[in-house]
Amino acid sequence: MAKFYPLEVLEIRKETNDSVVVSLSPPPEAKDDFEFIHGQYLTFRREINGEELRRSYSICSAVSEDNLRVGIKKVDDGWFSTWANEDMKIGDIVDAMAPMGNFYGSIEPDRKKKYLGFAGGSGITPFMSIIKTVLAREPHSTFTLAYGNRSARDVMFREELEDLKNTNMGRLNIVHILETEADIDLFSGRMDKEKCDALFNKWIDVSACDQAFICGPEPMMLAVADALKAHGIAEDKIKYELFASAPRGKGGQKSASKVTDANAEQTSLTISLDGVRRDTKIPKTGVSVLEAALAAQIDAPFACKAGVCSTCRAKIVEGEAEMEVNYALEDYEVKAGYVLTCQCYPLSDSLVVDYDQ
Amino acid sequence: MNDDQSTYEYLAKGGKLSSPENTPARYRAELMRQMASFVDSELAGAAGFADCVNYGPGIKERIAASRIVLEKHDHAERVLKLMGEFGANTDRYQSVHPWHERAGREENLGHERHGGDMRLNVFHYPIEGWADAVTMNVMMGEATVLQIGEFAQSSYQPLAETIQGILPREKRHLELGKEGTQKLVRSGTSQKQKVEQSLIYWRPRIAASFGGENSRRLENLKKLGLRKQSNEELRSAWESAVDKYFRSLFSD
Repeated sequence: MAKFYPLEVLEIRKETNDSVVVSLSPPPEAKDDFEFIHGQYLTFRREINGEELRRSYSICSAVSEDNLRVGIKKVDDGWFSTWANEDMKIGDIVDAMAPMGNFYGSIEPDRKKKYLGFAGGSGITPFMSIIKTVLAREPHSTFTLAYGNRSARDVMFREELEDLKNTNMGRLNIVHILETEADIDLFSGRMDKEKCDALFNKWIDVSACDQAFICGPEPMMLAVADALKAHGIAEDKIKYELFASAPRGKGGQKSASKVTDANAEQTSLTISLDGVRRDTKIPKTGVSVLEAALAAQIDAPFACKAGVCSTCRAKIVEGEAEMEVNYALEDYEVKAGYVLTCQCYPLSDSLVVDYDQ
Repeated sequence: MNDDQSTYEYLAKGGKLSSPENTPARYRAELMRQMASFVDSELAGAAGFADCVNYGPGIKERIAASRIVLEKHDHAERVLKLMGEFGANTDRYQSVHPWHERAGREENLGHERHGGDMRLNVFHYPIEGWADAVTMNVMMGEATVLQIGEFAQSSYQPLAETIQGILPREKRHLELGKEGTQKLVRSGTSQKQKVEQSLIYWRPRIAASFGGENSRRLENLKKLGLRKQSNEELRSAWESAVDKYFRSLFSD
């Protein structure tokens, strides 16, 4: 279940005009929970105008490094990235979930592997963790990174990458592709299919690649993947991490404070679970029965919260409610009074819901 | 163009996703449905098969059956872990449904979902005796390999990779079942008859587990990169595999 921990902001480093690298420290008792795998990300939450909103940012430190760092590029209308870039201060506390994500390959210290990486813009962030970890833990492996940006001043981690290249001579190769300002045609423009074909024919040897990683916006990812496959790289050797180009809607969870808003019109809600009856209140709009139950510290079962898996199924014993979506219950179940509580909103002044039936 | 739309276009062109954060709502719903169905089927299958360990005529058979039970639980756990990354309460999930509960042997549940969980209906029917367990295991094993073969190509890369790790072991379960049926058929006419009876019993029930055909839904799933083949194509491949195997088994 989603558990958030308070992380302290230790350092904020301006990386480019519109990006920062933030060092964070988890509370001592949660140190183990924040051990991460290279390429993983942290999900942060903040409350804005009574709504809880979440955003994820990739970790850019190596597994062996002592501090936890994330790269945050400011995006238009991005409420979290704007706050992080403009108002975040050292000593601030931010809530984050333990590291998650699957954008990594297994580390095999004895093998001599050939990695390829393709990063677009702030899609570089997970690569910082992957590259540093691979170079440190697989001493025989090599990494070639193609890194696309609009212009030289947009290049995140420019110096750190340069340092890494110099300390790992012959093991880390970096090709910067810039939409403007590049001197050589081959390295100028967008990372599209033609550009990749040209690079693979003239500059980057993709043969015998053991693992390829792509992280960036959608068109770039498709173009790189197509070019890799056309040059004989098997699909199962390619790892994808989509870097959504804009925030996904408002994308928020309702906050607990909204659940207990005393001014809203309320329904009295009784919940039976594991043989115990508990009473709580639920606003008439905007909060599902499941959310109200969880806010009242009732350990109601749930999984997908999308009306799909039926884990949160319960029976309405008294009162009236409606379901927003239902992919799981059959018609006869709905007729018998069963609901998916994650999708269920009250209509009557009182509602009795039984999870045990 | 909003972000969801561009993600749907990306998926339609064969793009892959690797974190819950990037999954638009409709995609997440379909993906969770597939994962829940897999987890529930593995848990219900393992719970049903656990009783069959005692039917095993010898230690070797009981080890094979125990191994199948153990590994199916492990497979469920692996995919449930992925569901956990979407916010599923995984501890609660494991105990919320009565995985061992079965309907009557002669009930006809068709292919519409039955009961509170998302298991395939075939896992609602009780197994009767060792020959029945082994025969069902072969037949459902063939179906599982085809059904999860689809998930192994999923556009949700963590699921695809997890299933790629599970698939060889599910294939091994199928092989164990085949060894079991061969031994039974060799042991005499009465066991051979039991295998035949089980084949007749399970064939329509497992065929129904492939589901009905809804071409619009299939098209949507294909666009999301969550399916490649239709239910009908999978069912027909399953029928060929099962018929071929049992024909050769009985003719030996």
